[in-house]
Amino acid sequence: MSDCVKTPRVATPGLRKETSDAVFALLSEKFAAVRDADAPKDFSVVVDASKVHDVIRFLRDDKACGFDMLLDIVGVDYLGFKDYEGPRFAVEYLLKNVYDPAKRIRVKAKVAEGASVPTVSDLFPIADWQEREVWDQYGIVFAGHPDLRRLLNHAEFVGHPLRKDYPAQKRQWLSTNDYLLPALEKKLESMGYRIVKRSKEVMTNDDEYLEGSIRK
Amino acid sequence: MDDTQANKPSFITTSLDFIVNWGRKNSLWPFPYGTACCAIEFMSTESSRYDLSRIGSEFVRFTPRQSDVLLVSGTITYKQAPILKRIYEQLAEPRWVISMGACACSGGFYDCYCTLPGIDNVIPVDVYIGGCPPRPESVFDAMFELQKKVSDESYMKERAERVKDQMEALRAKSEECRREFEERSKAAVAELKDKAEELKRNVIKKVSFLKEAR
Repeated sequence: MSDCVKTPRVATPGLRKETSDAVFALLSEKFAAVRDADAPKDFSVVVDASKVHDVIRFLRDDKACGFDMLLDIVGVDYLGFKDYEGPRFAVEYLLKNVYDPAKRIRVKAKVAEGASVPTVSDLFPIADWQEREVWDQYGIVFAGHPDLRRLLNHAEFVGHPLRKDYPAQKRQWLSTNDYLLPALEKKLESMGYRIVKRSKEVMTNDDEYLEGSIRK
Repeated sequence: MDDTQANKPSFITTSLDFIVNWGRKNSLWPFPYGTACCAIEFMSTESSRYDLSRIGSEFVRFTPRQSDVLLVSGTITYKQAPILKRIYEQLAEPRWVISMGACACSGGFYDCYCTLPGIDNVIPVDVYIGGCPPRPESVFDAMFELQKKVSDESYMKERAERVKDQMEALRAKSEECRREFEERSKAAVAELKDKAEELKRNVIKKVSFLKEAR
């Protein structure tokens, strides 16, 4: 009976340091990863943007690492950052081990404007939406993403609002609500259903927008 | 249209107005357009401690077809604005709008790329309630204000104005039709005249040609 119930591991500072040192040794050997100078207290490593996919796969599949949960993907815009030189954007991947609270890692990849990062949506399905969100807000392109559309902002929205050079006082009036039915109908058709009557949204009529919500 | 019965206050019209307004103001059914924490305060207003049904707002209707008051409680984003506009258009007349809370009135503390600076940019608003979120008493106050506003309206006058507008539209349309008809007939007459002129010229030509040939 007592074998079934594991005593929960507690993440003490010593254990954290131990595991992070072990994982960092592997990463620096295999992928030439370096510690992030901006976050000396956390376990944060910087890798080359082209190696992101390999690094994440290694962290997920390796027995010694086993980071089997992708918590979040974060974009950073370093425009106007104090004493900073280098590529403008960064993408951060936050991973953790579900069973071991001492195992948490942040993988950071610097991306220049116009460059792209390989997608990890084939490794973690949740990365699909997280990468869409980062693309939506920062305009960082994820190469090989199956469906890189806007997630939070409206389809008519122009620009990427969380970039530092997006004007803070800029407002955009949108004419319609988001088209949700085309995607739904496509999904239904792929499941074998036949669409008897197509909604107006699929074949949109440009004259039919709601004028009141547009302000010139 | 000026000498209709509706424009002259009489016993019948004022009594009818009174009855209609009495009915309207004591059965204001709200449509709760709740998008943020103000909606929680509205729930409190509606439930037994404060009990909005005491003033006739018994039924909170979740379809715009069956409600009179659009109660916008919460932050409205630019993405939400077209939906709000459509909901307002779906409300059957007579319709009133209460803007509840700082966010719906002015955008509140959200001064960013995605938040609408007040719903009055999109739809007309009758009563504003301040507060973040306003207390149920404020909602009651707004409902009383709205009742005052409703009882000031004149059903017969509105009807007369509506008929007047319709008559004007009809007159304008008929005038337009008449003008179009005249223009078209003038054009047709001119065309016919041209044709006749041409025929005449052709005939003269032919005749002169035949004369010369002979």
